[in-house]
Amino acid sequence: MSIQAKPLHSVGVHMKRKEDPRFIQGKGNYVDDLSFPGMLYLSLVRSTYPHAEITNIDISEAMKVPGVKAVITGKDLEAAGLGWLPTFHGFDKQMVLAIGKVLFQYQEVAAVFAETRAAAVDGAEAVQVDYAPLPVVADPFTSKTDKTLLRPDRESKTNHIFHWEVGDKEGTARALAASPKRIKQRLWFQRCHPAPLEPCGCVAYFDTMGRLQFHVTSQAPHVYRTALSLVTGIPEDKIHVISPDLGGGFGNKVPVYPGYVCAIVGALKIGRPVKWIETRTENLTSTGFARDYHMDVEIGATADGTITALHVATTADHGAFDAAADPTKYPAGIFGIVTGSYSFPVAYAEVDAYFTNKAPGGIAYRCSFRVTEASYAIERGMDILADELGMDAVELRKKNFIRTDQFPYPSALGFTYDSGDYHKTLDVALEKIGYTALLKEQAEKRARGELMGIGFSTFTEVVGAGPSKHFDILGIKMFDSAEIRIHPTGAGIVRTGTKSQGQGHETTWAQIVAEELGLDPQTIMVEEGDTDTAPYGLGTYASRSTPVAGAAITMAARRIREKARKIAAHLLEVGEGDVEWTDYKFQVKGVPAKTVTMKEIAFAAYTNMAQNEPGLEATYYYDPPNMTYPNGAYVAVVDVDRETGETKVRRFVAVDDCGVVINPMIVEGQIHGGLTEGFAMAFIQEIQYDAQGNNLNTNFTDYLVPTSLETPHWETGNTVTPSPHHPMGAKGVGESPNVGSPAAFVNAVIDALSPLGVRHIDMPLTRDKVWRAIRDAEVKKKA
Amino acid sequence: MNLQYTGEEKIPAGLDAVWAFVTDPEKVGHCFPDVVDVMVQDPTHFEAIVKVGVGPVRGKFKMKVELLPASSKRRIDMKMSGGGFGSAVDLTSGADLVDAGDGTTLLKWSGQAEARGPVAAVGGRVLDAQAQKLISQAFGNVRQQLTV
Repeated sequence: MSIQAKPLHSVGVHMKRKEDPRFIQGKGNYVDDLSFPGMLYLSLVRSTYPHAEITNIDISEAMKVPGVKAVITGKDLEAAGLGWLPTFHGFDKQMVLAIGKVLFQYQEVAAVFAETRAAAVDGAEAVQVDYAPLPVVADPFTSKTDKTLLRPDRESKTNHIFHWEVGDKEGTARALAASPKRIKQRLWFQRCHPAPLEPCGCVAYFDTMGRLQFHVTSQAPHVYRTALSLVTGIPEDKIHVISPDLGGGFGNKVPVYPGYVCAIVGALKIGRPVKWIETRTENLTSTGFARDYHMDVEIGATADGTITALHVATTADHGAFDAAADPTKYPAGIFGIVTGSYSFPVAYAEVDAYFTNKAPGGIAYRCSFRVTEASYAIERGMDILADELGMDAVELRKKNFIRTDQFPYPSALGFTYDSGDYHKTLDVALEKIGYTALLKEQAEKRARGELMGIGFSTFTEVVGAGPSKHFDILGIKMFDSAEIRIHPTGAGIVRTGTKSQGQGHETTWAQIVAEELGLDPQTIMVEEGDTDTAPYGLGTYASRSTPVAGAAITMAARRIREKARKIAAHLLEVGEGDVEWTDYKFQVKGVPAKTVTMKEIAFAAYTNMAQNEPGLEATYYYDPPNMTYPNGAYVAVVDVDRETGETKVRRFVAVDDCGVVINPMIVEGQIHGGLTEGFAMAFIQEIQYDAQGNNLNTNFTDYLVPTSLETPHWETGNTVTPSPHHPMGAKGVGESPNVGSPAAFVNAVIDALSPLGVRHIDMPLTRDKVWRAIRDAEVKKKA
Repeated sequence: MNLQYTGEEKIPAGLDAVWAFVTDPEKVGHCFPDVVDVMVQDPTHFEAIVKVGVGPVRGKFKMKVELLPASSKRRIDMKMSGGGFGSAVDLTSGADLVDAGDGTTLLKWSGQAEARGPVAAVGGRVLDAQAQKLISQAFGNVRQQLTV
């Protein structure tokens, strides 16, 4: 074991993750590790048809399978008032098990409960479902025509789910019309899936007190508890949600899925614990997908490259139910960040969402609600504009960046950017990559007909949802919380309403508490995910943990410090006004020799507190005054093989500004992971459906996850512009690399192909797509 | 995914013998490649269990089959639907019987299939060739059975 130095300060230290010894020794405690006496297994019968009436469900053969205890269908649930499940933002509902008809392939049709997992699967296979096929709507543009109405259950007899808009429509149209230079491009951010390595699952049982014990893969356990209470009518005190170790979430584990409801119903009906664990195929085909935004991007500029206006019109494919996990007032998430890092005088963004016969979702895959789509749109758009202007993409960006003197910056679409130094972040990236030398090399290669590209993405994110006046889920405001207890020996425990899925909270939270209180982070335990013990919070997604819960921890620690000040005054035998917190301990003002440490105060809080209230603990519910706005400058250098279309990412530099960094090692790890996901979306991943509504990417042989062999080497760097309103100045980083990198990769490939006249290719940039684009361009040139 | 096939089989038997064969569910059922069991319900309906292997998707399909003989005794259509392990196949095929005049009969067949689920997704790239092979084999089996 290596010996780590123990500096007094904890924030900014490369502390090894406290959770890792458990994980790397295979000692994590995941839902599928749980076993209870008498536990049954649940397997779901899923639809083979994307759109069909269910004419009959025959369960008789399934009931004959040895070990099968019960089979339930949509009709059974409907009779119990549990046929439908509200989606998280509250504007739609989703069938738990299909009632009357199925709306997407792999939709849940019946639930089979059996003594073993194998018997449950055999039982599900034996359920005979007869279907009468209906016309399939496999894309939002067909959906738009309303020729086939997908959701007759809804009041509004149309496939159109919503129209959302923000900004100045007329002003933008006028400004675009008056602009000497204009570009317009349709960009499709393809349907992707977060594909956490651990799929979704749960174990449900009712204990001897009649209390529902619900162990589940959830990024938001408290919201689950409230939602379950509202849906089932079980009083909230009779529901205990426990989210144990999670093997990744990335937004996929935010929604409540039909399998969870079926497990609970089974546990209630049969009176035994029920376990449900998805297969990989079930995860990819039925749980929350991400993106699937068709974006028409229009940018206006003057001839010298000053941007004048932005209009983005989006057609969104939401699948069979509107299960996009967005805050209530934001059906298109925080897509309004689409003006990015640039000073647009006027802008207008609109999103129209449609039902299709595809899996429901549209979740925030490592993304603060549609921010990835927005960043991709603007960062691709800026490159296309640079191409139109014949201007260097870096020069165009620098010319139009929001300047440091403009912060706090009110964006044309209603955000108030907190802080940033976009020129500086980009300069660091340019320096690191050696831009001048690369340009020279590229010119030489182009002269020889070789395809080399340099691509940029200088994005701004908006994270940390969010201020209560704007953000809620099912009406619950998006604050977060922390409770800290310091024990007599100076060790302690911190609990929050967030839930780590691999982000390293057990370390980061301990570092914040240690920093604020002058304690040893190794003796601060972190506990999350248990609704009986943790204070109420909205969970971990949308890069909100450090901006919201991290702030709550800081504030709770400062409350403890204020209490400690009273005890310090007692111990130092001076008035409270005569002690000051300095260098991680209390000291009598002007007398550096007279000090008392937090460890000593902690002991006194239980043994020698004088007139003060005993104990040393505090709780804080933090309602953020604003979102935080991390930014980054990413540069990709690629070589494209003209003959095969194969792209090699030669270098990738990511310079992030996420404000004050609490643990640089964890931040770097987050960036590596997010870049790898961005690389996957840019080059290999897509959930495809054929025209008949068949999902064609149902497992890891068809939906590829990059291994260390494909993944490029990442070079990282950072700048620090503290958030002025966050108590520690931190901004959040988990999502930046996923949000920012796809555009950098695509911009690099298009830059490589630009001498051939290629202006855009939709992701993923697979070899055959790039090869086709090269061939088409060469044929066109010859003609 | 949608698949379409056509073909022709020369059967060394007379029209009446061929007609008697292709309208007999028991006999038709046993011409399916890799058939495990045939359960005849009535003269035009039967169920067949067939072994299927497309790429990594392997298992048994349970198919419901309906024979639709034309009154002209010159054409027979067949509808088939079923599936297994989460996959489904709907298949319609038809064959015209043409007297070749030399004591043999030409079976001019066409078929179309729609596949859904893993068999369509995982097997997408190999399904087409596989289905072509199976359907040719089925009609080939008819020929073999009638070759004395």
